Amino acid sequence: MHAHSLKHIKAVENRRYHTFFNLAIFLAALTGIEIVAIFLPFMRPALLVLLVGCSIIKFFGVIMWFMHLIYDRPLLLWVFITGLAIAIGTVLALMELFVQSDVDVTAHAMMEGMRIEPKAWV
Amino acid sequence: METTASLSLPEPAHAHAHTSSGIENKKLIMWLFLASDCMFFGTLITTHLIYRKLYPSGATEEGILNITQTFNIELTSFSTFILLMSSFLMAIAVSAMHKGELKSFRRNVLGVIFFGFIFLGCQVFEFTEFVHGNPELGVPPMTLSNSVFGSTFFVLTGTHGTHVAIGVLWLIGLFFYSFSGRMTRDSALDVEICGLYWHFVDIVWIIIFTVVYLVEYL
Amino acid sequence: MATDYHEAVACKSQLPHIKSALGLTRPDYTTGIADWLTTVDHKKIGMLYAACALFFFLVGGIEALVIRLQLIIPNNHLISAQLYNQLFTMHGTTMIFLGVMPLSAAFFNYIMPLQIGARDVAFPRLNAFSFWVFLAGALVLNLSWFFQLAETFGWFIPVDGKTDIVPAVGWFAYSPLTSVQFSGVGTDFWLLGIQILGVASLAASFNFIVTIINMRAPGLTMMRLPLFTWMTLVTGVLIIFAFPAITIALLELMFDRFFETNFFHVEKGGQPILWQHLFWIFGHPEVYILILPGMGIISEIIPTASRKPLYGYPLIVFSGAVIGFMGFTVWSHHMFTTGLGKVATAAFSLLTMGIAVPTGVKILNWIGTLWGGRIRFSVPMVFSLGFIWMFMLGGMSGIMHSAAPADAQQQDSYFVVAHFHYVLVGGLLLSLLAGIYYWVPKVFGRMMNQKLGYWVAGMVIVGFNVTFFPMHYLGLAGMPRRTHTYWSGFGWELWNPVATVGAFVLGIGILLCFIDVVRTVIKGKPCGSDPWDARTLEWSLPSPVPAYNFAAMPVVQGRDAWWLHKHEAGEEARLTYEPIDPHGIHMPSQSWWPPFGGLGFLVFGISMCMHGAGVVFAGYGVIVGLSIVVFTILCWALEGPGGYYIKPAALHAEAGAMGETQSSSEFKG
Ligand code: HEM
Ligand SMILES: [Cu+2]
Repeated sequence: MHAHSLKHIKAVENRRYHTFFNLAIFLAALTGIEIVAIFLPFMRPALLVLLVGCSIIKFFGVIMWFMHLIYDRPLLLWVFITGLAIAIGTVLALMELFVQSDVDVTAHAMMEGMRIEPKAWV
Repeated sequence: METTASLSLPEPAHAHAHTSSGIENKKLIMWLFLASDCMFFGTLITTHLIYRKLYPSGATEEGILNITQTFNIELTSFSTFILLMSSFLMAIAVSAMHKGELKSFRRNVLGVIFFGFIFLGCQVFEFTEFVHGNPELGVPPMTLSNSVFGSTFFVLTGTHGTHVAIGVLWLIGLFFYSFSGRMTRDSALDVEICGLYWHFVDIVWIIIFTVVYLVEYL
Repeated sequence: MATDYHEAVACKSQLPHIKSALGLTRPDYTTGIADWLTTVDHKKIGMLYAACALFFFLVGGIEALVIRLQLIIPNNHLISAQLYNQLFTMHGTTMIFLGVMPLSAAFFNYIMPLQIGARDVAFPRLNAFSFWVFLAGALVLNLSWFFQLAETFGWFIPVDGKTDIVPAVGWFAYSPLTSVQFSGVGTDFWLLGIQILGVASLAASFNFIVTIINMRAPGLTMMRLPLFTWMTLVTGVLIIFAFPAITIALLELMFDRFFETNFFHVEKGGQPILWQHLFWIFGHPEVYILILPGMGIISEIIPTASRKPLYGYPLIVFSGAVIGFMGFTVWSHHMFTTGLGKVATAAFSLLTMGIAVPTGVKILNWIGTLWGGRIRFSVPMVFSLGFIWMFMLGGMSGIMHSAAPADAQQQDSYFVVAHFHYVLVGGLLLSLLAGIYYWVPKVFGRMMNQKLGYWVAGMVIVGFNVTFFPMHYLGLAGMPRRTHTYWSGFGWELWNPVATVGAFVLGIGILLCFIDVVRTVIKGKPCGSDPWDARTLEWSLPSPVPAYNFAAMPVVQGRDAWWLHKHEAGEEARLTYEPIDPHGIHMPSQSWWPPFGGLGFLVFGISMCMHGAGVVFAGYGVIVGLSIVVFTILCWALEGPGGYYIKPAALHAEAGAMGETQSSSEFKG
């Protein structure tokens, strides 16, 4: 850890400061876009892609720069990607395994005496 | 003997002990924990999404629960923004510690703690609002037990909130520790792993904000 | 660090009372019970795990024998149906979480750091913490028996009036049986016990993974790692990715039971099937978490006893990793009969067949190792050969399950019971016994009774087959699993008593082995440091292993380093050592906080259950328990890791031990 002189570390960290600052602005902008997007009255399916895209970019922005993965050894990235991949795989498989036709929504609603207004899940 | 002892030990021999991978033990274990936490939040988020998929109109009782009407997207957007900015301050705090600038570290960490509290405050406010509903506007109450949506929503966001709270406690601990005189540049690693945790909580929120909140408005 | 004590001592009992950063005295100098409570030595922690595991094996074994006694004849009413349910639930849960996993953890703890030339694991206090939390979880689960006893005497009556105080919902606790309408406090004991055990397993696994990745001796590249260490690594990876799923499932169940959420409440739209998915997302990787350490053990023993390197080392490593990864893709084969849909059923069916391939590759490699070897039929070897055979049979019935239409007949019948006992007892238990016979001489420097060992092997293998082979027939003849009793006339009257007799033979065999372990510890015949003429680094150390493990850090020159050192010609085949630090060896300080943290979890768990039972003020106990945990973490962080230096007084002894087998000149030089 002491291989690098303090001077060197300071120079590196000061450079990183600008990166971090730009990233913060960028993330805030993306969040802004997301929030505006949901109020747009057109192109709903495309907006979903936009939302998902934005959050993926934000996600990787944070892990790569704020969490230093880009500066650190690749092993750390692999460790995290492994966990992430297994998690995403499981999430997607589960989402596929559950289908709406398996549940009798109307029966439930009648049981509870509720009114149902179906709304498409995008 | 005395002299050899002090000569061979200019600093604790083990503190920067060489590791086979070149990655510090503490950093590696933190990343392993975060990788495992992906699975943790992954399953929790899917639970929520599965029930959203099964009950497009909301769950059984949600025939009367209009989710976008219940949500307060302005408030949530605000707290999302706050959490993002706290992540920025956290990154700066870690930088400061690497440079050995204790004062700057304290300033930034205090900022993170402050933002953390704002986030938690917003969440508490949001939760109470949801639980009470708004009879005047015809917004029904949403509780842990009156709908599946309520259960999955509160447990998911609540678990995330608990993570934030733990992060805040950790940061407060580091903040006070920095006055003990024992915090030096060697402690940068301790700050860094706390930072990793904090950023992770932030990225989990990035996902939750999109798939739990924003998507409801499409 | 000011908290270090820099004067080297020959033995830690000579240490003065050193204060930690908290101002409290570090318990480094202690002996006796205080020493065992505060130890951070991976070897002692390993022994603690082993002691607990053997104890719980006996508990689980007794439960199993009572189950078999109940089933010995038709229409038997030896025990009530409720007790029967409790017994099979606790048997499964105990064997898996309190028997097999901690015994594997014992081997991980004791052996793995020695195999990689490390002085300890990466986080010694965390390691101790894992053990104490494990013990807390084990106690939470099993103290339910005492509350049940109190209930029979009328001293303890839960408010809901339900009398299942020992868990009775099966080891996979399917919803909706677990909801408050259908089961009592037992489910709380189960869910909190497993949750706490999960914390322990996770903490231990993070620690082991970091240790293997970071603390290897110089020259010990990943592809030179002993197979047991590799399997420790893969098991750790499986645990850290599989346990979060059960953590969440249990969290949701806990909320359902304590805070009236609707995750699994059908009448509010909850889906019980979700529990099955979450459970098996954890549950299938869990069965590989159980078996991989066993595969690691026999991958050490077979080459040693065959006096040949492991055949196809890279392939074994690779197939271990593939099994680990594929383990996450097959969970729904436990749910074929729930109606997953055609595509999903076909996909999971194919993937399940696929996972048998890397498993088969391993078997081929073990057999390849035997081929042309100069085999010594030592006791561990006999168990290992038993493993290959029995495990293969279990794998065969597994493949039969993987065909969904066939499984529709087998699901929930004794056929499944036969399958998983073939892999878990015929496979895993045999490998664990092999491990005990193989490594006890290392741990205690004493040999177990070999003659008795052959008898144990015979009784266990024969008893096991007599018990479980007939269950294939019983299952195909339609006998459902988890039946309290059965009528005559179904063709089940023959094989049930046979199985019961076999179970007693099996039980006595295992008991004999455990008794011999205790006898060996007390007065076994001393043996040298390398009685098996083995291959890996732990055998280069004296037995029992000194507190600091390696006086000088070995520089590893190849796979099977110790074997090369002993038997290979040429200078480059010798093990060399790094220069000895004249100041002594740095040792981690002991600590009171790990057992204290375990205590916090115990108080938390029991109080939650009592809260569920409606005991007044139990809620405060929950708060107290959690506060203890938080307080522990705080003090732990502030106390600082500390440490002291020890002079390897045993240096000469170690050199002597080496001389016993081969030259040790380079060591002295
Ligand atoms: C060749 C590899 C294997 C295959 C193809 C396989 C396949 C299966 C299938 C399809 C089932 C579900 C049967 C049913 O409930 O109808 C099953 C159950 C089970 N398997 Fe395996 N298996 C294999 C290896 C193992 C191993 C190595 C273990 C553990 C060490 C194991 C432990 C279990 C357990 C515990 C169950 C039953 C769980 C329960 O219902 O309580 N299996 N196996
Ligand atoms: Cu399985």
